[in-house]
Amino acid sequence: MATEVVMPKLGATMEEGTIISWLVQVGEVVEEGDAIAEVQTDKIVLEIEAETTGVLLKTLYDEGSIVKVQEVVAYLGDEGERVEGLENQSSGAESEPIVEQNKTFAKVADVLEAPAERGNKIRRTPAARKLAEENQIDLRKITGTRPLGCIQKIDVVNFLAENAKKITPLAKKIADDHGIDYKNIAGSGLNGKIVKADLDSSNSINEKVEIQKSTPSEKRIPFKGIRKVIADRMSQSAFTAPHVTLTSQVDMTNSVRLREELLPVIEKVNGYRLSYNEVILKATAHALQNHPDINVSLEKDEIVYRSNVNVGMAVAVPNGLVVPVIKNADKLGLAAITEECKSMGKLARDGKLLPEQMQNGTFTISNLGMYAVDGFTPIINQPESAILGVGRIQEKPVAVNGELAIRSMMTLSLSFDHRIIDGAPAAAFLTELKETLENPFRLII
Amino acid sequence: MTAYDVVVVGGGPGGYVAALRAAKNGKKTALVEADYLGGTCLNRGCIPSKTLLKHAEIIEGIEKAKNWGIKTENLSFSLKEMFARKDQVIAALRSGIEHLLNAGKIDVYNGFGTIHDDKRVTVVIGNESYQISGEKIIIATGSQPAVPPINGLNSVNYHTTDTIFDITEIPQSIVIVGGGVIGVEFANIFTSLKTEVTIVELGDRIIPTEDEDASQVLLKNLKKKGVKVLTNYQVSSIEESNSKKTLMITSDKGKAECLTVDEILLAVGRKPNVSAISELDLKMTGRHVAVNDYLETSKKDYFAVGDVIGGLQLAHVASAEGLTAVENLDGNKEKMNYKVMPRCIYTNPQVASVGMSEAELKEKGIKYRVNKYNFSGNGKALAAGETEGFSKVMIDEKYGEILGVVMVGAHVTEMISQSSAYLYLEGTVDEFAKMVQPHPSLSEVLMESANTLIGKGIHS
Repeated sequence: MATEVVMPKLGATMEEGTIISWLVQVGEVVEEGDAIAEVQTDKIVLEIEAETTGVLLKTLYDEGSIVKVQEVVAYLGDEGERVEGLENQSSGAESEPIVEQNKTFAKVADVLEAPAERGNKIRRTPAARKLAEENQIDLRKITGTRPLGCIQKIDVVNFLAENAKKITPLAKKIADDHGIDYKNIAGSGLNGKIVKADLDSSNSINEKVEIQKSTPSEKRIPFKGIRKVIADRMSQSAFTAPHVTLTSQVDMTNSVRLREELLPVIEKVNGYRLSYNEVILKATAHALQNHPDINVSLEKDEIVYRSNVNVGMAVAVPNGLVVPVIKNADKLGLAAITEECKSMGKLARDGKLLPEQMQNGTFTISNLGMYAVDGFTPIINQPESAILGVGRIQEKPVAVNGELAIRSMMTLSLSFDHRIIDGAPAAAFLTELKETLENPFRLII
Repeated sequence: MTAYDVVVVGGGPGGYVAALRAAKNGKKTALVEADYLGGTCLNRGCIPSKTLLKHAEIIEGIEKAKNWGIKTENLSFSLKEMFARKDQVIAALRSGIEHLLNAGKIDVYNGFGTIHDDKRVTVVIGNESYQISGEKIIIATGSQPAVPPINGLNSVNYHTTDTIFDITEIPQSIVIVGGGVIGVEFANIFTSLKTEVTIVELGDRIIPTEDEDASQVLLKNLKKKGVKVLTNYQVSSIEESNSKKTLMITSDKGKAECLTVDEILLAVGRKPNVSAISELDLKMTGRHVAVNDYLETSKKDYFAVGDVIGGLQLAHVASAEGLTAVENLDGNKEKMNYKVMPRCIYTNPQVASVGMSEAELKEKGIKYRVNKYNFSGNGKALAAGETEGFSKVMIDEKYGEILGVVMVGAHVTEMISQSSAYLYLEGTVDEFAKMVQPHPSLSEVLMESANTLIGKGIHS
C-alpha cells in the first residue's frame, strides 16, 4: 500500500510551497527521516522528510512547481508496487492542484524502467549515501541488508564500526593537520592501532603534503536549494532596485559606555548579554520611527508606508544566511531587544526559525562588525527599501573640539532603493541615526 | 649434553624474565646463574636499597612529626634488625623467582657459564662441569661496580654496592665517591642513620643525567639533612691507618682538601660482565656488547640484553629488552622501543622522569613548551607535610605531544607511570588536561601543568 507524501504546512501562514528540487530519484529507496525534496515557502527553504521507509514510487510534480499545502506530491511504497488509480489521475484533472510546469506524468514509465537501468548501479538510500560520502567510503565495499541488496544507513554505520581505524590521539592530530588519509595505513600498535611512527614511515608526511598541493581535488556541489534562493533574491534586488550607498563615520564612544553600563543591568534582568548589535538595532528603530519615508516598500504600483517598524537582522548560517525579524523594535526596550535578538539568533543558527519569524520585515541590518570590515555596500532585502551595513568599531585618533582624541569609531553604510527614496531623506535618516548613536540618551525621549 | 631451544646466561631481571617468556612461548629453556637469582637488582641493588630507604623515610618521618605534636622518646635503631628485614625481603622475592622458573619448567643451572661459539655453554657447579647447548643464546650477564683508578686504593678497605649491604655497624662517617643515582640514595640512607656523609662528585652537580631543577631540589634537601656535597672534586689518593681512611681530593680549580672518614663507598658507575663471552668474537660498542634493534649481537643466534649492552642500566629496561629479544628469537619481529623508559631515584624526596629531558630537547633542537608546578601549591602535599619538589611537563609546540615529564617529591616514582602511559599511548596535552584526577591528590599537579600549557590553568 503506497504512502502519500504531501506538501507540509510549515507555518501558520503557509498556503503553498514551491518544490525547488527532488533530492531522491524515482525508484530510489529512502529511510524514515530522509529528505525527499526541498521546498521553498515565501521566506525559507525547508525539506520534506520521508515519514516511512520505502521506495519513491512516483513524484507528481516537476521541480519549480507550486503546490498547495496538504496536496500529495509523491508516493512511497514497496519495490515494484504500482500506485493505485495512477492511470485515472493522469487523465482526470479533478484534483489537480495549481501546477505551472507539470510534466510529471511522463515519469510513470520511470517506475517500470528503473530496475533494468539500475543493473550496475549501487542501490542505496540517500542517508546511506550521505554517510558514506562523509566518511569517504566506497559503497561497493558494503553489503546492503534491504531487499535486493539495497544499502541503508545502518549498513554504513556497521561498516564504519567494523572498519574503524584505531589511531592514537597524537597520530590523529598529525594526520588531520597534514591531511593524511590514514584509513589505508597499516598501524604497528596493538590490533593495528596507528601510532605517530606509522605516519612518519609509511607515508612520509612531507611527500603527502606535496601530493595534496599538486592535485587539489575540485569540489562540485549542485547550485540549488537555499543557495539558489539566496542567489535569485540577490540578483533580483540588485538588478531591479537602483542601489545607492551612503556612508557615515560614527563616534561610538558614548554608545560603548552605554553598553558597558547597561550590560550588567540587562544581564541581571533576563540573563542575556547586551551587544552593540542591539544598541544599533534600537537606535535604527528609533530613527526609522522618525523617518517613515525610509520605512517603505514598493508593492506593484504602490509605495507602502509601513505602520510598524520591524527590523530584520542578517544571521549567517551554514551555507547561507537568514533574516529573523524583530517586530515593533521601536517599541521595545533594550532588555527586550537583547532577549529577542539573542534567542532568534540561536534559533537561526540551529535552523529552527519558523517562517513567521522571518516575515514582515521593514528594514534590515547586516552587521559585519565582528570582522575586519569598515564599510560595505549591502544589497537590499526586497521588498524592503533600505538596508544598513555595520562595520567594526575601532579606536582611532580624531579631532574633537580642535584637539586630537582617541575615539571608538564605526562606519555605517546605508543602501537605499533610489526608485522610491531620494538622496536627501536617506541622508537625513543616516544623520539622525549617527547622532542617536553618538548621543544614545536620545533613545530615552 | 642437554640441548635446549634457548639458553639464557644470567639470572637478573633481564635474564630470568627472558627465560620465563621464552618458556611461555613454548621454548625448552635453560637459565644459567653463577650467583643468586635476581641478579644485582634483587641482591645488591634496587630491592635492598629500597628496603633501607624505607627505613630512612620512617626515621625522617618520625623526626618531622615532632613538630606536629607527635612525640616519640629515645628514637633508636638497630642496623642488625634493619638488615635482617632487608634479607627477608630479598629471600622472599628470590624464592618467588625460583618458584616461577620451576613452574615454567625451566632448568636452572646454578654455576658460572662460559659461552662458546658453537652454541654450547659450559657450566661449572662446584667441582663438576656441565655441557648444555641452545638453538639460541641470550647473553644477560649484567654488570658490576666500576672501580676507578685511584692512588692507594688497592691497599685500602673500601666498599662498592656489592659489599655495602654487608656492613655490621653504622659508620660514624662515610665518603661516597660519585653523586649519581646510587650515590645520592646511599647518602640518604646513611644520613638518616646519623652517619656524617660527604659526597664527592666529579661533575658540577649531583645526578648529572637528570633535570637541572631536580638536581637543585635534591641538593638543597641533602644539605638540609647535613650531607656535605663537594662538586667538581676528584679523588686523587686514598690511604688508611688505624681503620680510618684519608682521601686527598682536588677541585677542578686545583684546590686540595683532605677528608678523614670511617668508610668509603665507591659509586662511580658500572662495567659490563664480559668474562662469560670472552671466547666469542662479538662486535662491541665501547665496553658493551653491540646489538641491533632486535637485540641480536653480531653473531647469528646470539642475543644480548641488560647492562651488558649498555644504554640505560636499569632493571626494567633489562626486562623489556629480555622480552623483546625473546619475541625476536625466530626472526625479526619487534624492534626494541626505548621511547618510554621511566627513570627513578628513591631518595626522600624522590625524583622520577620519563621521556626527554629539557637538556635533550634543547640539544636536539626540538621546539617545546614547558610548565613547572610546585607541590607547595598542592592540597595533598600540604596535608602530608611533603611540599618539597615540583612537576614539570614538556610538550611539543605543534601537536601537544607529551615529550617529557620530570617530577621531584614524595611518591613521584609511582606517579610517573601515568605520564608514561600518556607517552606510550600517545595521548596529547589536551587529553592530559581533561582527564580528571582525584582530589586531593599529588597527581593534580600534572593536571594543572597540562591545563596551564593549553592556557586553561585553574590554580595557576
